[in-house]
Parts: sequence; structure tokens; C-alpha cells
Amino acid sequence: MQLVRNWFSRISLERIQLELMNTAYGSGHASLSRLDPRCLLLWYLFFAIVPWFLSSFVVLAGLFLLTAATTVLSRVTPFVIVVLCLGLIGQVGWLFVLSLFFGGDVGSALPLLKLTLKLSVVSLASITVFSGMDPEKISDGLLALGLPASISFSLSYGYRILPVLFEEFRNVLLSYRLRGQSPERPGFLYWRMAAYYLKLLTMAFFPLMLATAKRSRTTVEALETRGFSYGMRNPASKKLKLSHLRVAARDIAFLSGTAAYVALLFWIG
Amino acid sequence: MASHSRAITLTSSQKMMIFVLSMSLYGLSNMFTELIPEFRIGPVELSVEYFAFIPLTLCMLFSPLHAAVGAALGEVIFGELMLGQFGGLGELEKFLTFSFAMYVAGRMVRDPLNRVQVGVAAIAGVIIHQACSSLIDIGKVWVGVDDFDTIPGLAESVVVVEGFSFLNDVLFSGILFALLPTAYLVPRLYGKIEPLLGIRPRGKAAYEAGGVSAKIVATGILLAVVSFGAAALSKTDWNFAEWDSGFEDRFGTGAIWISIAAAALVALVVLAFFRMRKNRGPQAEAPGESPYV
Amino acid sequence: MSKPISPSSPALSSSSSSPSSLSSQFSLSSPSSASSLAASAAPSAGEFAVRVSNVTFAYPGSEQPVLREASLAIRKGSFAAIAGGNGCGKSTLCKLFNGLIPHYYSGEFSGSVEVCGRPAEGRGVAELSRQVGYVYQDFDNQLVRPTVLDEAVFAPLNYGLPEYRAMGQRALELCGISHLHDRYVWELSGGQKHLLALAGALALEPDVLVVDEPVSQLDPRHARQAYEVLRRLNRQHGITIIVIEHHTEFIADYCEEVCLMEQGRVLWQLPAAEALNRLADLDRLGIQPPEVTQAAAKLSELLGKPSAASSYPVTADDAEAYFGAILRRRAAETGSPGKEAGGGASAGEAPPSNPSPAIEFRRTELSYRTVRKEKREVLRGLDLALNEGERIALVGNNGAGKSSLLKLIAGIARPTGGDVRVLGEDAKGLSVERISARIAYVFQNPEDMFIEDTVYKEVAYCLKRRRYPQAEETAERMLRAFRLEPLRDRDARLLSGGQQRRVSLAIGAAIRPEIILLDEPTANLDLATREELIGTLKELEAHVRTVVIATHDMQLVRQWATRVVVLNEGVVAGDGAPADVFADADLIRRAGLAPTQIMDLSARLGLKPACASPAELAGRIYGMLAHGKENDSHAARPQLV
Repeated sequence: MQLVRNWFSRISLERIQLELMNTAYGSGHASLSRLDPRCLLLWYLFFAIVPWFLSSFVVLAGLFLLTAATTVLSRVTPFVIVVLCLGLIGQVGWLFVLSLFFGGDVGSALPLLKLTLKLSVVSLASITVFSGMDPEKISDGLLALGLPASISFSLSYGYRILPVLFEEFRNVLLSYRLRGQSPERPGFLYWRMAAYYLKLLTMAFFPLMLATAKRSRTTVEALETRGFSYGMRNPASKKLKLSHLRVAARDIAFLSGTAAYVALLFWIG
Repeated sequence: MASHSRAITLTSSQKMMIFVLSMSLYGLSNMFTELIPEFRIGPVELSVEYFAFIPLTLCMLFSPLHAAVGAALGEVIFGELMLGQFGGLGELEKFLTFSFAMYVAGRMVRDPLNRVQVGVAAIAGVIIHQACSSLIDIGKVWVGVDDFDTIPGLAESVVVVEGFSFLNDVLFSGILFALLPTAYLVPRLYGKIEPLLGIRPRGKAAYEAGGVSAKIVATGILLAVVSFGAAALSKTDWNFAEWDSGFEDRFGTGAIWISIAAAALVALVVLAFFRMRKNRGPQAEAPGESPYV
Repeated sequence: MSKPISPSSPALSSSSSSPSSLSSQFSLSSPSSASSLAASAAPSAGEFAVRVSNVTFAYPGSEQPVLREASLAIRKGSFAAIAGGNGCGKSTLCKLFNGLIPHYYSGEFSGSVEVCGRPAEGRGVAELSRQVGYVYQDFDNQLVRPTVLDEAVFAPLNYGLPEYRAMGQRALELCGISHLHDRYVWELSGGQKHLLALAGALALEPDVLVVDEPVSQLDPRHARQAYEVLRRLNRQHGITIIVIEHHTEFIADYCEEVCLMEQGRVLWQLPAAEALNRLADLDRLGIQPPEVTQAAAKLSELLGKPSAASSYPVTADDAEAYFGAILRRRAAETGSPGKEAGGGASAGEAPPSNPSPAIEFRRTELSYRTVRKEKREVLRGLDLALNEGERIALVGNNGAGKSSLLKLIAGIARPTGGDVRVLGEDAKGLSVERISARIAYVFQNPEDMFIEDTVYKEVAYCLKRRRYPQAEETAERMLRAFRLEPLRDRDARLLSGGQQRRVSLAIGAAIRPEIILLDEPTANLDLATREELIGTLKELEAHVRTVVIATHDMQLVRQWATRVVVLNEGVVAGDGAPADVFADADLIRRAGLAPTQIMDLSARLGLKPACASPAELAGRIYGMLAHGKENDSHAARPQLV
């Protein structure tokens, strides 16, 4: 019981919040984040699409190495990598076990390994770009590539509002706990505790909805007074917002380096 | 408040409020559900897939379109981008299917005080979404594993895994985290949350479908066709390319070179386009200065 | 550090005014003479920053108009306060200035509004916002960008102004926060966030700046800092400042004129000193005049010669002169200086050493990890024992560890070193649920406590959830005790600040805890509600044996506490009876405490120990006048109930 309780009360929320904040904000100084966001997004687009059409093991492995290297360069937190690995195991591991069950053999592991590689390449590329790049730059990049202003605004607003929401959520959850009753016995496999916390987690959204509604009103009203909707209709504003974006030599170098490497891989493969 | 039978028109700032509300709440919940450990008993996992009740509730109380799109975007931003789990094309499909399912569920409700109606709509929303995403997941493995048909047991196991996860998500997450909370919350929040946003409670009136929706639907269909087309196209490739002969297979490599060339061409065209636009048109701004430090 | 706002910006060139020309006109006024300036100016129509004539407005869907025939004219370059009770339409009135009403809230509107000499009709929010900046009361929700500089350049960028970057930087400089430009917004303290919200509004270089209740969410030091910035903007840059404010001490120190609102009408508009002497009007609307004004009024009453209205002092400076003159006159008459004998304040009799204190800290340490992987120490080996039956005030500046201490007691935070013993048990081994059955923790922000949709359900939640016997009767009794019966079916989120606070106290008291912990209970309260709160705290003692309050409010400490614990840099810097602690000027300064106006005045007049309330000060001065010597200080101090 103590263990579970510690897991929830100490590790969980505060720790997760910290890790999330590290993930979301801790990337401002990575070397890749100095690249032009449009170039990085194009780069990403390639790695998000092409691996699905590849079957060569060597090429996939090479792409994996490249994206792994860029992931290291973008200095993401270990937390992200752990989450990624867990996700991959969850997605592919069970397929393997089941295909053995349905009469497959170890041979079926190899195609599945390839599937894992494909998924990894796509995920690592997205980690490189989206966790390694400043959210502001991503949102500018998306705006430049023609996404609606409200989406690119929402992206950076999400990063702004996350700590606030988290704080509020913790307080609401705490209020429930301060005035509620936890199960007296943890139950088999702590299922009572798990059910208690899951119920709290769900119930906490009721007050949170009301509180967030109140906040959204001020926020949107303030946006209005600061010319946000005016700016959305105003092409000059968009142009100005994006005027700082320019493709520099290092962007060209990065893209052409990647292209050369990929070409080499295909030549070998 | 007299309930109107005609559609309610919202101002653009009210739409923005609903959008922001839905995005931040569902986004936050998504971060949690991504991190809640899963309980597995063999292949059957008891995982909390998502807190669908949040977008469902908001879709039923407010304009379904804005709440649905806001929630889907919230998932992408909070649950994917911030956690470094953004998965590329797959997310696009999730975005589309999720907002579609939530939108439909929201439109199904005529009277937010009717618990039965709310509950039916909530579970329908989950079923629509889960059915779509299961089919797409099967498709993904089908596309991703090149000799899908030749591996014994793989096809069956994929169907079984997806079937289980469909049932699990509908029965476990769907009932516990969509049906029950939504049926409880919608009547309770009705008339309470609207004044906080400065919006009149909807009564029995429906929100207008919105002029944008035609464009959005068209875009959605287009994207769906593209992703399906891509899947079908790649499927034909896999029949030619065996995985162990991939090293030499001329055709496979040729296809790859074509796709590379296409990608490079697209990139060059886009770059050139930006360059041109930059060089054209007088620009008075301080050069090279980024507003972000 | 502040450059003048350049008038060459396109944002302003369209308007008829040039701010720099105004700045010279008003830069000479000092706080005490500010009021005369406002009175002397008789501007022509073009010189008004805002002019509202006969505006009546009702929000959509509401039949009750919020504004009824409201009329008001604020001169360019003025520093005006809009005061009034809760719900009198102050914020609504101010939303006329930037067009939010009637453009954004399209309710029923009649009357006319002029902004900077031009009718507001037909000009949208976006256009009017170029001239009128607005800072919200819940300014945290106004900040929409992740980093400080982004936030500052947000508005000019939206308007597509090419020199947006310079504008943002200038605004940050004006607010004195340019050194924070690359910080994330969530890293900032409350005071810094408020300054950033100001900078965000200033970036468009507006002619008028509206600030809604700047003091309500800030501690006293930061509130003063915010007002200093506003004064500089007003004096040096000619920006018209309009604050919504009911803290009269700030009005007295900073504002030139006051508009008093009552039920949607503007009752009057007067120079500040005169306005704050309208004691009857202020009293009716629940606005407490400055402490020194109260003291002076009280003294005249005691002397049996209520002086003609509008002659009491409103600032500490004025009061020093006023009371000093009275005392000198007396001294001249009797020949004996009215100097008092230093009062030997009883060192709050150390309670008979209790064998087992209610709460005990032993070398307690607490540290957090921050996002940048740094460790931040909040408590560094703190030793403290709190006994049953005490009224303990925890004081200290921001970050001294007050809230953390309370959280340790409530089991919300766990010590990283040392021990915390609560009611004889080690707090480490107890869950929040267990501890909270005996110790109630009341949040600083009442809204964080609201988990239900009506006041009654809020109060009853815990009683029902924990299956207390007679839950319903207890809840009813609590509603009565905290005068919440008329509000029982309202959503607590939609109540006023004072009402919300009462709900939060009722929630805390409902389970009849042995110890109740209150975090900043007087923050965000208007002064009438504050007085009420002190009464409520006394009521609380019928149910609760030990009360611990973390607060910035020295007036509350002086009036209520029996023991003051001063925290500084994570250790106990002082501990004792209020009189002793406040007598230690060095400690006060070191711990960054802000003395009340009456304490300040007591010190200036040489009264020791400092007085706790205006009535006490008046009583003591009266005693000095009557007997040539101050009353015995013990007798004069109000009973510490």
C-alpha cells in the first residue's frame, strides 16, 4: 500500500509535471534548433513518409542510425526515449508473441523487426523535430507552410498554458483528496487504490472544465484587445511574423548532407 | 431561455473560446492517459485509452465542430508533440477520425438534458472512432510488413489484437470513460458552464454546421483518399519486393529512387517558392532578426 | 532606465494627442498636491482621454442593466481610480473604453462614448485597443505566449507594425523587466507576471491604460512596485492611467482623482483627498478609508469636534504632519512634550511549555527540483513547535517558505530531511486523506478548492463523503455561521472574492478539524470583507483549537495573532508576540515585511509599541492630549481575543 501510495503522491504528478516541462521546454539550446523550421519540417516530412515505402533492411537501418543521431543532437530528455521504447514494445512485442501463438516461428521476428525500424525512424524523426525544436519555431514553420493561424497559435498557446493547467489540476486533485476518503484496504493488486485514483482523475475534470471555461473567456477577450483576430485577417501581420525566417547556409548544408547520406544508403541498399 | 428551433450562430470569439477550452482540457487529459500504466492480462489489456468524455461533453453542450477539432488538436499538441510521440501520417488519420466521431456524437444530441440520448450518442462516438482506428491500424501493419501474407499467423494475430483492443476500448474505456461520465456531466454542466463563457445555453437548438465545415469536410475526404491511396499503392509494391531480396531488387530500388526524387523535387520547389517570395516584394524589416531569443 | 515612448510610431500618429507634450504638464505633481491639480484643470472637450455620457448597458441574456445612465469624463494625463462595491459595474464601465462593450459583448446599449476626443461608435475593439490598453484582474490568463519577449511583442506583431521588436523591448524597459526577456512566463513570480501583462498592453503605446484591481492578486510589496511603474508611466510619459481599485491607501498615495460607482451609476468624481474624506459614502459601499483617515476621524470624534469634511489626512505623510501639529499644539499649551514612555510590551507570555506540541518541526528540510535541473531549497533545517490554542501568524516575504510549511503540516508536501510531527504522529507515514480528517488546509486561491457546482454541495462534500453523522445539519450550520445561506445554490466560482473566501473557510471548518491552516486568507479581499474575516476567524475558534495563518497582511497579524513566526530564507528568523516582533525594526527589514500605515505612522510619531488599529492610535493620542502622557500601553492595546 505504501508503495502504491508513494508512487501516486510523490512520483506521479510532481515528477511527471517536471519531466513534461523538461520535455516541452528543455530544448531551446540544442544545435538543431537553430535550423530554419521550414527546412526541418520538410526534412521531417521525408522521414515520416518514405520509410513506409521501403523494404531494404540496410536502408532502414541507415535511416534509423541517422535519426538516432539527430535525436541525440537535439538533446531530448531521456523520459521521451523511455516513453518511445515502451510504446514500440507495446505495439510490436505483442504482435510477435501472438504470431508465435498462431503458428509462426522466430522467422516472423525479422519482418516485425523491420516494422519496428520503420516505426522508430518515423518516431525519432518526429522527436528530433518536435521535441528538439522550440515550439515557437515549430508554430512559425507551420504558419509558413500554410497552416491556419489559429492552429499555429494554439500550438504555442498549448506550451504556455500547460504549466497553468497542471498546477490547477494538481490543486483540484488535492482538494478531492483533502476532502475525500481513500479506500481503507488497497484490495487485490491494489485495484481499489487504482480505481480510487482513476475515479478522482475523472472527477477532477468537472471542476477543471468550469475553471478552464472561466479562464478561456478572459484569454479570448484579452486576445481581442491585443489585436489577435485583427492580425489573423491581416496578411501584413503574418508576413511580419515570418519575416525572421530565412534559409541559411547551415540549413542547405543540413538538407544536402541528409540527401547525400540517404542517396548513399540507397546506393548501398 | 426560450429554445429556438433554428440554428445558433456564434461569434468568432465564442468559437475561439470553445476551441481553446476543448483543446486545453482534452490535451491535458491526453497527457495523463498516455502515462497511465496499462494492466495486461495476456493479450487483453485494460488500458485507459482516452478520456473521451471531455470532447463528448463539450461537443454536446457547444458547437460540435469547434469542440471536436479543438480536442483533436489538443491531443496532437499535448499528447503527441509535447511528449515527443508525434507519429507522422498516422496522427493525421487519428485527427480526422477522432474529430469526425466526436462531431457526429455531438450532433446526435438534440436535448442535452436527456440522459439516454446523451449516453447513446457518447457510446456511438466511441464506436465510430474505434472502428475507424482499428481498420486503419490493421491497414498499417498490412502496409508496413512487406510480406504480410507469407508470415503464418500474422494476419490472424493482427485481427485478433485489433479486435481485442476494439472491444476493450469500447467496453472498458467506452463505458467507464465516455458513457458514464458524459451522461453524468452533460446534464449537470448544462446551464452552468455556458455563463462562464458568456454563451447562451443551447436549449434544444442545434449549432449551425458552420460555413467552414464544407471546406473542412472536403479537405478531410481528400486527405483520407490520399492516405488510403498511399496504402493501396504501397501494397502493390510489397507484392513485388520480397524482404530478403530487397538488396538487389531492381524494381524496389527503382521505386525508392523515384520517391526520393519526388521528395527532393517537392522540397526544391517549396524552397524556391519561398526564396522567390522573399526576394520579391519590398520588405522593410530588420534583417535576420528573430523575435525569439 | 525608461526612454520616453516615441511619438513617431504609426500607432499613435493617427491620434490627435502627443503624449510627450502632456508629460511636462503633469510631471511636477507630488502625491500630496496631486489632487489640487486635478481640481484646477478645466479641460475643454478635446482634452478628455475618455468621456462616457449616459451609458446604459445590459449583458446579453440579462434583464438587469449593469450600467445605468453612467457618465464620466477623465482628463488626458490623469491618474484616476474607479471605486465601488462588488458588482457595481466598475469593470463593465472600463470595458466601454476599448470597445469590448458594445462590440464584443453585444448587449443592449445606449448612450455615447468618446475616446481621445473621437466618438467610439463605429470603431471596433481592434482599433480602440491601439489607444486603450487593458490589464485584467486575473492577468495570468491574459498572458498567451510562452516567453517574455514574445508576450511583449504579441500585440504590435498582430497589428503588423514593422518595429514590433523595438516596441516590445521598450515596453519591457518601461516596466523594468527587460532583464527577464528570455525567460519563460511560468518561471516568473506573480509580481513579474503582472508587470509583463502591463508591458503587453503598453507595447502598442496606448494613450490610456486601464488596470483592473492591480492589488488584488499581488502581495503588498509587488502591488507598490506595480503602482510605482504606473506613476512613472503617468508622470514621465503622459499616459492616462485608470485603475479599478478599492484599496484606498493606494488611491491616496498614487491617484489624482476618484470616481465612485454605485449600482451602475457614477455617484461622483472628485480629487483623491476630497473623495477619501467622503466617509459616509465610502462606508455605505463597504470601502474602508485609509487607516490614517480613520484614525483622524476617530480622534475628532473623541475630542468631540468632528472637523469639517474633507480635511482629514489621507496619506501617511499628511497624517504625520496632521497629528504632529496636534501634538505640538498640545505640547506648546502644556509645556510638557507629549512624548510617551517606551511601553514595555509583555513578551507574549511563552505558553507553559507544553509536553507535546500540536505540530513540531525538527531540523526539517524541503527542497524542490526545478525544471532546469536545479535544486531549490525552501526550508533549511527548520526547528519549530506550535502549541495547541495558539493563533499563529507565519510571516515573511515571498519564497521564505510560508506556504511550504503549511503544506508540510497538511501532508501535501513531504520533508526531504528531518521530521514533521503532527498531533503526535510522524507526518511522513500519513496520507493526505488521513491527515485532513484532523487538519484542514484552506488554499490561498479559493477557486482551487471548488469541486462542486453549488455552495451547499461544496460545504457538504467532505461531510457526506466521509460519512460524518448528521452531515446535513452540520452543513446547514456552517452555511449559517458563515452567512452563506442566501448563496447556497450559486456556483462558488461566480461569487465575489469575499464570498468565495467565506465559502473556503466554511469548507475548512465543516469537518471540525483540530488545526486549521489558512494560506493568505486576506488576499483579494476588499477591506469590509477583511474586517468580516477577522470576525469569522474568531468564530472559527469555537470549533478549532489551533489556527495557523500564512500572511502578508500585517494588519491582520496585529489584530488577530497571539504569536508571530517570521520566516526568512527557510529558517525561523523571529518568533514571539506581535508587539515584540514589530518592535524589532531590523528583523522587519531583514524579513521584508511591509508595515501597515498605522504602524508606520506610530513609528513616525514615536509611539512605541506600534499601534494595531486606527482606533487604538486615536485613543492613545487622545490619552496623550487629555493627560499629557500616553495611556498605559497595555490598557490601550485591544484585548487579544
